[in-house]
Amino acid sequence: MDTSHLQLGHGVGLRTVHFSRYLAERPPVDWVEAVTENFMARGGRPLAVLEKVRGEVPVVLHGVSLSIGSVDPLSEAYLADLAELVRRIEPAAVSDHLCFGSHRGHYVHDLLPLPYNEEALAHVTSRLLHVQERMGRQLFLENPSSYVSFKDSTMSEWEFLAELSRRTGCGILLDLNNIYVSARNFGFHPATYLAGIPVERVGYFHLAGHSDRGKYLLDTHDGAVPAPVWDLYRQALRRFGAVPTLVEWDDRIPPLEEVVAESRRAAAIEAEELRPARRLAS
Amino acid sequence: MTLAETQALFCEAITSAEPLARRRLEACFAGTDEFPATERVTLYAEMYGWRLVDALREIYPRLARFLGDGEFAALAQDYLKHHPSTHHDIGRAGHALPGFLRRFPDPDRPDLADLAELEWTRHTAFFSENSAAVGADAFAKLAPGTFARARIAFTPALRILALRYAVTGLWRCIEDGVKPEPPVEGASAVAVWRRGFEVLHGPISLEEAKAFSEALEGKDLAQICASFAKTPEPAAAAHAALSSWIEEGWIAAIVVP
Repeated sequence: MDTSHLQLGHGVGLRTVHFSRYLAERPPVDWVEAVTENFMARGGRPLAVLEKVRGEVPVVLHGVSLSIGSVDPLSEAYLADLAELVRRIEPAAVSDHLCFGSHRGHYVHDLLPLPYNEEALAHVTSRLLHVQERMGRQLFLENPSSYVSFKDSTMSEWEFLAELSRRTGCGILLDLNNIYVSARNFGFHPATYLAGIPVERVGYFHLAGHSDRGKYLLDTHDGAVPAPVWDLYRQALRRFGAVPTLVEWDDRIPPLEEVVAESRRAAAIEAEELRPARRLAS
Repeated sequence: MTLAETQALFCEAITSAEPLARRRLEACFAGTDEFPATERVTLYAEMYGWRLVDALREIYPRLARFLGDGEFAALAQDYLKHHPSTHHDIGRAGHALPGFLRRFPDPDRPDLADLAELEWTRHTAFFSENSAAVGADAFAKLAPGTFARARIAFTPALRILALRYAVTGLWRCIEDGVKPEPPVEGASAVAVWRRGFEVLHGPISLEEAKAFSEALEGKDLAQICASFAKTPEPAAAAHAALSSWIEEGWIAAIVVP
């Protein structure tokens, strides 16, 4: 499986505070990404909004609770709910995170990183193959932002992700803010991360904001995309080409226009970076 | 350390009331002099607490407003120790809070459990299946002589609560920012339903609550109406209740077997 079929343009996250705008008008963006678990209910306003929006622009479902790396058995209840939502919405893509978030039946509702070694790789590979088979489609996995690493890791996150994609055929959702946050928290260079990801595996990008807490960067998603993340976006465009790009804004969410403006800025940067080089007059 | 051991330690460190021994954490997690492993893990533990308390505050906004930020956070953290989240939807993490408040009631405000029950019920009604309601002429459309045998199916969002305190007054005081009266124990019933996507609630009589229970059990309209037998004017009371059920859009279908 390759990911070259994803051609979505520039989108934003579908958030509750903007629901009335989406009900009243066509979304002013190329596509939207919906947090899967927020729409798994059988009815109510969120699902009605999503069903309206999907008739107007492509929708990508982005999960936070698959817990693909957990040693717990995969939740069949979760997979059934996901399959039902996928059937109902027919999303352009389905994604989740390279992480675990549950243990012994308890959910911590966080995206906890995994040790990057062969044991974890084999474990995630087997579960991801099962999920993709169960869903009958390719999944996209996002690199998490993280604050801890493990003494038992034997490879980098980008090596793990690239190999996982090779073994399972999964696509990669490359969150550039997360790369930047983790790079600062662990002291690697973000360009090294980009260079380690196979170009043909990347399905789409995430852009978001973070907070500088001195000792570390915290992935807060509560502000505009910071300058270093825009710089990384330019580097990523040069390596991966025109990849669908989504602006995530999850906390202290401003009016829709402001989020859309960030998405348009991404579109403008893409046009600028990928503009054919002007021939020099002889 | 195996993957299973790593995950067990990570989750224990995040959810434990007391910090784990440094040597245990440093055997698993890497850190730097500037940002040691123990501090890195503590960051996850803090985020775990904030995230779940915030989720509970979204489900129980009136309870949170009544208690204030500090007291609500303390209650939520205590609750989560007894009831860690067991569902992939963080919105369901608060499902057992009403029962928790009944087991460990606030001596001054034992009605807070009922307030929480009302908030939780409204939360579930918000996400329940959409369904059309029958029109005003639904009873008139029944074939002659079939009324008594007919049965009622309700819209999925409708719920009737049997409570120990009349909490709709407490709810109103919290909404208006007015100091509520002390609670007075006495059976009461509250209906929660949805009009479009708006969740509504209101007190109903105990007779009406009984009629609703009879209908839910599949009893026919004759038995449903008998719930009002002890009221001063049974026929008028039954007529008023059934009319309001239609008017509020509670009835999805009237079926004659």
